[in-house]
Amino acid sequence: MTARVQTILLAAIVLIASAIPVLAHHSFAAEFDSSKAIDFSGVVTKVEWMNPHVYFYVDVKDPQTGKVTNWGCEMGSPNGLTRQGWTRNTMKIGMVIRVEGAAAKDGSNVANARNVTVDGKKLGAASSEATNP
Amino acid sequence: MRNRLSIRFLVVALASAFLITATVITLLAAQQGSAPAAEGGGRGGRGRGAVNPLLSQPAPRLPDGTVNLGRAPGEPGIWQDPYIQNMGARNVFVGAPPAAARGERAGRGGGQIGGGEGAGPAGQRGGAATEPWVPFQPWAAAFYNYNSLNNSKYDPEGYCLPPGGPRLFATPYPMEIIQQPELKRIVFIFEGGTHVWREIHMDGRPHLKNEAIKGQSWLGDSVGHWEGDTLVVDVVGFNEGTWLDYFGHPHTDQMHIVERFTRPNKGTLHYEATIDDPGAYTKPWTVAWDIPWNATGELQEYICQENNNYFNRLTDDVGQPIVGPRQ
Repeated sequence: MTARVQTILLAAIVLIASAIPVLAHHSFAAEFDSSKAIDFSGVVTKVEWMNPHVYFYVDVKDPQTGKVTNWGCEMGSPNGLTRQGWTRNTMKIGMVIRVEGAAAKDGSNVANARNVTVDGKKLGAASSEATNP
Repeated sequence: MRNRLSIRFLVVALASAFLITATVITLLAAQQGSAPAAEGGGRGGRGRGAVNPLLSQPAPRLPDGTVNLGRAPGEPGIWQDPYIQNMGARNVFVGAPPAAARGERAGRGGGQIGGGEGAGPAGQRGGAATEPWVPFQPWAAAFYNYNSLNNSKYDPEGYCLPPGGPRLFATPYPMEIIQQPELKRIVFIFEGGTHVWREIHMDGRPHLKNEAIKGQSWLGDSVGHWEGDTLVVDVVGFNEGTWLDYFGHPHTDQMHIVERFTRPNKGTLHYEATIDDPGAYTKPWTVAWDIPWNATGELQEYICQENNNYFNRLTDDVGQPIVGPRQ
């Protein structure tokens, strides 16, 4: 299998994996704003493997000012993430990760994570955004 | 020459991508055992070229011949409740909404069916005016308009309260049905809906009296019987703490629901519910959908109340916190 085919296969799997249904709990639109996209990288400071949503916290450094902000990010539920292949080892304190998603409407440093990139792998985060816009 | 090779590579790459995607979808569908039934609510049982073999197998039966609505002996499996956000888009009999109004999404292996989202077209977040087939009383229409157009901000399920009535089968978590004919009861176990269960009394007992303390409950009082291969469940005694769906169709404690469960094949549970609530609607209305079988699935734990940051951070319409002291 050539590297290109491997890439295509990987892309297909990522595409399908991200299309696996996510679990709904609360209104996405009541708390988050799809138009306020976030995309940042930072160091994981805490992970809460709890219901109804797994939360993780990331220290994000502003490249211009050097100021560090701690963001809280919501994913899906532990059962949803488990069905997508996540384990407690997927994300650990100290890891550098990239988060893509949407910020809270109220301007706080809270976001809904749609995708998380860990160790170069982009993972679905069982976000409620896809089903509860 | 180089260009021609590039084009040839592109064609091969695109064809490969298509084939691989189709294969992965097929594998996923087979693994989940549910995609075709989930597609469009299981109508016709076809989905993305994959044919779920369970759809051509008969429903299993218990030793006494009764249809088995659960697992066959020695096999795993769960019912993958679809995600139906708007009961108003699931009516049958009362002038079915146009297909375009249903806002369906592809099943994708897990039973995900939208009920329509976004503002505008009928059946979506357009409020009661876009659902003329739902027999709203005026107050119910106003309630629905407020909550639907408010993005379901105050949805009880967002507070980790259970879904009531038909929404138990429209909240996208797995569910199991366990028949115990020797005990004259059937037990439903729901992974979502905050880990609730329902006991369907099959012993011919009457409903609880309304004045009983247990006579008004989140999930109601269920008594059932078989009509041929159809399980008919009569439910009364609801409290008013739940919504019929995510979009916010209300109900009152006068709600009486008749549910009909059939298993037309091994891979499909057909669910139908007639909602008769003279407190909120002018006449009964019926909703129905198919629930796909996930032949490899098992229930997991889901204790919604553990750390509900949504509820903890929620503010009311004037910006005051729902939980904790007002500012």
